[in-house]
Amino acid sequence: MSNLLEVRDVHTFIGQFHILQGVTVTVPKGAITTLLGRNGAGKTTTLKTILGLTPPRTGQVIFDGREIQGQRTFEIAALGIGFVPDYRAIFRDLSVEENLRIAERKPGDLERKADLIFGLFPDLKRLIKLRGTQLSGGQQQMLAIARALVADNKLLLIDEPTEGLAPVLIEQMMQAILQLAAETTVLLVEQNFHVASQLAKHYVIIEEGRSVQSGVMADLLKDTATVRRYLGAA
Amino acid sequence: MTGITNLLRKNRTQSITLAALVVLFLLALQGMEPSDWIITVLRGLSVAAVTFLVASGFSLIFGLMDVLNLAHGTLFMIGAYLGWTAYVRPDTLLDLATPFALFIAGLMLAPLWDAGLSRARVAMRAGRVLPWLILALGLGVLAFGLVRYPITAWDASVYDKSPVVFGVQLDLGQTDLPAPLTADRAQVILAMMSVFAGGALVALGLALNAARQRLAAPRVTWRALWLPLSLIVVGVLVYALNDALTAGVVAAGTTWRFCIAVIVATLAGAGLGALMESTLIRPLYARPIYQLMLTLGLGVIGREVVIALWGRTQMQMPKPALFNAMGKGCPAETLWDALINQCATINFMGTRIRTYNEIFIFVVGVIVLIVVWMLLQRTRIGMIIRAGVQDRAMVEALGINVRQVFTFVFALGVGLAALGGVLAGPSMGVSDDMGESLLLAGLIALAIGGLTSFPGAAAGSLLVGLLQQFIVKYGQIGIALPFGAQPFKPTPPLVPASTLLLMVIILLVMPNGLFGRRE
Amino acid sequence: MKILRDHSTFLAVVVFLIAFPFLMALLDGQSIGAMLAGQSGNSKFYQGLLIEIFILGIFALSYDLLFGITGLLSFGHAMFFAVGAYTAGLALKSLKLPLPQTLGLVILAGIAQALLFSIVLPRVKGITFALVTLGFASVFHIVIMSHELNDLAGGDVGLQNIPKPDYLDPAAQRLTFYFVALAFTILVYLFYRRFVDSPTGRVCIAIRENEHRAQMLGYNTFYFKLVALIVSGITAALGGALHALYQPIVSPVTASLAYTVNALLIILIGGVGTLSGALVGAAVFRLLQFFLDKFFGESSSFILGVVYVALVLFLPYGIIGTWRAHRLEWQAAWRARFARVATMLNRKT
Repeated sequence: MSNLLEVRDVHTFIGQFHILQGVTVTVPKGAITTLLGRNGAGKTTTLKTILGLTPPRTGQVIFDGREIQGQRTFEIAALGIGFVPDYRAIFRDLSVEENLRIAERKPGDLERKADLIFGLFPDLKRLIKLRGTQLSGGQQQMLAIARALVADNKLLLIDEPTEGLAPVLIEQMMQAILQLAAETTVLLVEQNFHVASQLAKHYVIIEEGRSVQSGVMADLLKDTATVRRYLGAA
Repeated sequence: MTGITNLLRKNRTQSITLAALVVLFLLALQGMEPSDWIITVLRGLSVAAVTFLVASGFSLIFGLMDVLNLAHGTLFMIGAYLGWTAYVRPDTLLDLATPFALFIAGLMLAPLWDAGLSRARVAMRAGRVLPWLILALGLGVLAFGLVRYPITAWDASVYDKSPVVFGVQLDLGQTDLPAPLTADRAQVILAMMSVFAGGALVALGLALNAARQRLAAPRVTWRALWLPLSLIVVGVLVYALNDALTAGVVAAGTTWRFCIAVIVATLAGAGLGALMESTLIRPLYARPIYQLMLTLGLGVIGREVVIALWGRTQMQMPKPALFNAMGKGCPAETLWDALINQCATINFMGTRIRTYNEIFIFVVGVIVLIVVWMLLQRTRIGMIIRAGVQDRAMVEALGINVRQVFTFVFALGVGLAALGGVLAGPSMGVSDDMGESLLLAGLIALAIGGLTSFPGAAAGSLLVGLLQQFIVKYGQIGIALPFGAQPFKPTPPLVPASTLLLMVIILLVMPNGLFGRRE
Repeated sequence: MKILRDHSTFLAVVVFLIAFPFLMALLDGQSIGAMLAGQSGNSKFYQGLLIEIFILGIFALSYDLLFGITGLLSFGHAMFFAVGAYTAGLALKSLKLPLPQTLGLVILAGIAQALLFSIVLPRVKGITFALVTLGFASVFHIVIMSHELNDLAGGDVGLQNIPKPDYLDPAAQRLTFYFVALAFTILVYLFYRRFVDSPTGRVCIAIRENEHRAQMLGYNTFYFKLVALIVSGITAALGGALHALYQPIVSPVTASLAYTVNALLIILIGGVGTLSGALVGAAVFRLLQFFLDKFFGESSSFILGVVYVALVLFLPYGIIGTWRAHRLEWQAAWRARFARVATMLNRKT
């Protein structure tokens, strides 16, 4: 069983809008897979569909060998999926410590993972008493990723981690994600093809709600025609 | 210093409004004799405390679930009626305890049903109406059992046996209660069994309803059976020892009876809230306006049920002995003396203050404020609530079952309202329209405070309470207007108008209320 | 012919309502002459009930335009109705104005109040708007029933002894009143239909769906909300004036939150944002109230409460909304059933 997550031909509706019209994604264990595609192609909805935030109407989602579609979000997450949304979703009324503490699934998780988290993001240790609102954009992003690391998650869903960050911070964030991938599996949504190509080992291209192509990143980099066609960048 | 200036500049409207309110308050004080304004402020604080108990639950529920629970006033009133019953008629309460325990024991079979259903895959075929039919059947069986069970109660239609009379009797110090009903053992056993079966059926209906929306089978342990079993034992024991227990409670005196009443009303309110949320509100989270109508309809139903059971006449709820003595050493000079002599009043700065109305209620309000604040700030569930107010989906994505938290918060909010009702009973009297004015006051306090903010609800209640009492007082002494020859005396109906105006003005100046967050 | 086919339900209902007083008289065994002369009987009684339904329907329609179409939740809508009713009553009683001038005054009052509500429009949204309008309406409610205005507005009893024009006396000329109310209701309904289909109405719907997007498209949403508020306000005020003409007393209850809630209930029963649902809902609401009162007396409000809760839980889109959603399925099912019967019959012959 080398695939940690398999999404098979899911269709998702939001209200009456048919957002995902057949998305298939396989995420091999222990590596970074990235979802590529233009704005509004359905990448974020794919992540939300996996988590059950926008449950699929048809199709299967198989995580760690069992079907999870149709289960409640908290049940899915508790199986070991961490979520870092594009809007970061830092809780304003909670301190940095509480923002981490709330992700604990059993008492003491945070203490157990403290070395890993503060090793990746030393800044957070200094900011631990601040409120969520008092952080800068980059710090919020670090906190959002750190929060997903508190519990023992087998899979991390990370949406647009470098969006709106300064170049220096992008570099730091990429280092952090690479280090993470050594321990867990990551499904990444990334607008910036340059970043995505450096991080990911596998890719899936989503276009207008359908997965149109997937494979190994190394092959995609040689195929400039495809890159230009779907992603508009070289 | 610069920090303060910055803070002021950032929250300019807020600071100006607060300053204006303080000036208004000082002006209002200035127009009165010291003894007048002291009593007015104290009464305002007491009203504020009761309003706060309603508004805080309101704000917690609205903040986390976006449900404006318009049944909150009715629930406040139900709290008062339940408290009255436990206080004035402990025999009825104890008679009810047995069927209640059995019913809850039946309800606790829900997890078992849940597991059984998903194993049998019945739920998928159950359809939409069947669960509700079973629910109705369960309630019918429950009613069947309750009618047969011997409950020594009042009779609202016969004056001598009406709740009003029992209230007056307790006030006059007559503690003897009517002789308990007798029934033959077979009847009682049949009644007990059908009450339990009613609970079990209701649980089945609920489980069916919940299971329709779920795919995965929940796990269940046999340990889940211990609690219902022990409840059954407790219920039967209470039945066996009924007479002795009743005599014991009656002999314990009104102070202890009042404590029991407070606990019973609060817990019953919380239970009612949990039941409401998990059965009726939950299917409607996606349709807020329907929730509004639902809670409104429930409010009407609740009020009609109360009228049917207790009658329309306002009832007295005598103050507990601890705050009711008039004799030696009363009115007391200090708080300590008042406690020792159980005085009804205290002399303070030239006025006489009632220990129950002006001191006890306010103290309880402050205690609740602190306890709930600690709960929100210092516990894990408080953390989840604070996070959930902002972003429910993200909390759920962390693996937390937000729905359980919803039920908890609903139970907490309704429990606080019921606590407010039972506390207000001795000072306001118990009547079926007491909820309506409190609903309005709570709504205003909530809007002033900023809808979702807990400290905002406290501040809003404070403003509402003080303003109300000042207008009432000025209704007695009159406001000397510069252009009017006669002092203007606002009549009592204008009191709610003044608080409504305050709300409108504050919302116009600050659309998000005093403590609301800009979205 | 096409018009007839497209609007067959609407036309059938109108024809039925026109024929209703006569049908009722026939059923009752009353001669048409006696009915026309306004003699009391079942026909006259049910005309009265229908007039009440029309007035409620107009009020609910105006609320549907505001809430169902434009998406503005107001808890103070009853104030429009009460302002209309009290303005009409006072103009007729204290100012001794003739009816046309009175109605002109009522319209002005409706506009004035819409402008009052519109002051808060740009500042507050959603539930806060509802609470602010509740504030306005409740203050009006309290003031109108206060002791201080007893001589003018009649305190908590309400405005009584309003002189009514002879040709529209609700007791003597019930049938005329019936047809006037019916005609006015139909006019308002048709005008509302037209309004919703107009470009302005479309923008109102867009505001309900997503105000931000409507703004991005370049619409000044405040202007459209104001238009909806004014149209709705005038309609409700006119409905109130009709109420004042019909009822012996204008009670201050018409300004209370409970009255707004009635409108909300009506459109929930009928279907939010469907317009025709407001009229259907008004009929269901009033008839339910009437028959429950008749058969259950004391406990009728309990049953009414249970009925509401059941409606909210089981009929989420209201009567018209549910009908629209399932019309095609149901029609197909019936057609299939007919076809089956037809083939069975064919086989037999």
